[in-house]
Amino acid sequence: MFFHIVLERNMQLHPRHFGRELREKLVSKLMKDVEGTCSGRHGFVVAITGIEDIGKGIIRDGTGFVTFPVKYLCVVFRPFKGEILEATVTMVNKMGFFAEAGPVQIFVSNHVKIQKDSEVRLKIIGTRVNATEIFCIGTIKDDFLGVISDPAGS
Amino acid sequence: MSLVDDSPVSSSSSDDFATFLDGELDSTSDTQPEEEEEEEKEKNDDDDDDDDYDWDQDDHETYKSLIDRTKRRKMSYATEEPNGSTSHIEKTDITETSVKMSYATEEPNGSTSHTEKTEITEASVKKVGCTHPGFIGGMCLKCGEKRDTQSGVAFKYIHKDLTLSDDEVARLRDRDLKNLLRHRKLYLVLDLDHTLLNSTRFSDVTQEEGYLMNPDDPMQDKLKGSLFKLPFMHMVTKLRPFVHDFLKEASNLFEMYIYTMGERSYALEMANLLDPGMVYFNSKVIAQGDCTTRHQKGLDVVLGQESAVLILDDTESVWSKHKDNLISMERYHFFASSCKQFGYKAKSLSELRSDESDVDGALATVLKVLKRVHSMFYDPELGENFAGRDARQMLSAVRGEVLKGCKVVFTRVFPTKFPAEHHHLWMLAERLGATCSTEVDPSVTHVISTDAGTEKSRWAVQEKKFLVEPRWLEAANFLWHRQPEEMFPVAVKEVKDKH
Ligand SMILES: [Zn+2]
Repeated sequence: MFFHIVLERNMQLHPRHFGRELREKLVSKLMKDVEGTCSGRHGFVVAITGIEDIGKGIIRDGTGFVTFPVKYLCVVFRPFKGEILEATVTMVNKMGFFAEAGPVQIFVSNHVKIQKDSEVRLKIIGTRVNATEIFCIGTIKDDFLGVISDPAGS
Repeated sequence: MSLVDDSPVSSSSSDDFATFLDGELDSTSDTQPEEEEEEEKEKNDDDDDDDDYDWDQDDHETYKSLIDRTKRRKMSYATEEPNGSTSHIEKTDITETSVKMSYATEEPNGSTSHTEKTEITEASVKKVGCTHPGFIGGMCLKCGEKRDTQSGVAFKYIHKDLTLSDDEVARLRDRDLKNLLRHRKLYLVLDLDHTLLNSTRFSDVTQEEGYLMNPDDPMQDKLKGSLFKLPFMHMVTKLRPFVHDFLKEASNLFEMYIYTMGERSYALEMANLLDPGMVYFNSKVIAQGDCTTRHQKGLDVVLGQESAVLILDDTESVWSKHKDNLISMERYHFFASSCKQFGYKAKSLSELRSDESDVDGALATVLKVLKRVHSMFYDPELGENFAGRDARQMLSAVRGEVLKGCKVVFTRVFPTKFPAEHHHLWMLAERLGATCSTEVDPSVTHVISTDAGTEKSRWAVQEKKFLVEPRWLEAANFLWHRQPEEMFPVAVKEVKDKH
C-alpha cells in the first residue's frame, strides 16, 4: 500500500554549494539519497513529492559543512497483512516461489506448477520489514488469486 | 543500506507514522482469531469516546480513532506527542490512507464484502492449524505467523533466512522423489574444484602460464569458452574438457546440484560459467556456508532421497557419511599452482600447453558410468514399483565389475603390522570386484607390489602372474576399466633402501 507522508532528514551540505542554488542543491541531494531506499519503519521510498520546510542550517565544527533539517513529502510503499498485490515470479523452487512487487520480496508456499516471470495476484499473510529490506509471506490459495499471466503471454 | 535511517536525527513525524504502522502490523499478525474478535468488540464499544488522541493507546484504538477522525472529515490535525514532538500528516492523504487501511486491517466499518471473505478464510486457516513446515525471516512460510526462534535445518542456498522442519524436509524429499521417478531421473551432486574445473589466483600464475593472460597469444583461440578471467575475483578459471557436453547429457538423466567447499560468491560465479542460462543449477548451488557439519559435505541439505543420489567429487574424505553415493574423480589439475598444492613436481597441463582429453577424459568416462547406473535403476524389467530400489547398490554393482575375476595379493604396499583388510587399497580392490588375499596360491591372478625384489613379486614372475604397481588399482578406479597390466610395471627397489 502507498502512503503520502512527511519525513524529516538532516542534510549535510558542503560550503561550495552555498549561494543562489542552495535550495536546489539540497533537494537534488535529498532525492539522490532517499529515493529508492528502504526504511524499515516506513517502507520503500518511492518518490519525493515536495518540500515542506527547510530549517536553519547549523555549521559543523571543524568541517564547515552545514546541516539543514529538511521536512519533505514523499510517497512510500509498505505492504500489509491482508493486502492483495500483483507480483512477478522471480524464482521457483521445491517449496514454492519467490515473487517481487516493486521493492518487496514475497515468498509463496505453493505446489502447483508455476513459471518464472509469471504475473501472480497474491495476498500478503505476513510481513517483516527491517532497515534494509521488506520481506513478506504470501498466499495464492483464495478466490481471485493466482497466475494472471504466463511469461509467454498465452 | 538505509539512508533514511542514517539521518543523524530521527524525525518526529516518521516516528508517529512508524508506531502506527508497527502497531497495525502486530495487531493482525500476532493475535489469534478469537482475540481479534474480542478486540474488535472492544473497539466498537470505544466508538463514542475519542477526542483524546493518544499514540500510546492500544494500536487498535489509535487506528480506530484515525478512521473516525477521517469520517468526521476533520481536515487536518497535529497532535502533541508525549515527548513533545509534533506529527504532520497531510489532510488529504489521511483520508485516502485510512480508507485503504480499513481494507487491510479488516475494520468492520470500512470493510467491503471482499475483505470479510478474506477474514473468514484466514480464520479458518488458522483454526485448522498450521504445522509450520518452515520459516523464512522469522515467518512461517505457509501461514505467515511470526516466530523469534527458528528450529530445523537451514537451507541458506535457497534463501538466506530459510529453515525447514525435519518433517517438511522428509515430506519434500518424498514428494520430490515421486516427481523424479515420474521423469525417469536421479539426483547428481557435483563438486566444482578439480572435478568440473580448476581455478587459480592471478598472483599464482607462473611465467610459463603467462600466455593464458595474453589475449593475443595464438593459444587463446583454442581456450575460448573454457578459460575465463575473472578480474573482480583476481582469478582465472579453466573448465574441464567435455564439461558442457557432460552437463547437457547428464541433465537429461539427473537433477543436478553443485556442492562445493568454496565460498558462496565463488560458487555462484562458477555456476554462471558452467550454466549461464541457469538451466541446470537454479537455486541448487550449495556452498561452504550451507554445510551443517564443519569440513564435511552432507546430503542433509540436498532435498533429494539419498537412495537416488550420486555424487562426483575428487575429495573422498568430505563425504564420510555418504561413501556409497560417491564416485571419486581423478583430480583435474590444469594450473601450475594446483599441481604444486597437491605435491606434483611435473609440469602442469597449462605449462605444457596441453589439456585432458575431450572425448575420453574423466568426465566422458564418468558419464558412461552415470548412464549405466541410470539405466539399471530404470530397467523396465524391474517394473514400476520403486520401493527399495537404490542407486547406491547399482553403482556398487557397476564398480564391482571392473576387476571381477581378479584375485590380488599385496606385497610391500601396506606398512608392517597394518591390518591389511583396513587399508584403503585393499578395500578399493574389493569394491572394484577383486578378491584379496594375504597369501599366494594358484588362484591368485595379480600381485600388487612396490618392489619387484620381494618374495611374492618373484613368485608372480615365476608363476607368470601379473605383477603391477598400486597405481594399477587407482587407474582402474578412475577409468572404470581393468587397465593393461604392462603399463604398470614394478621396479626393483635400489639397494640404498636396504641400508
Ligand atoms: Zn504456519
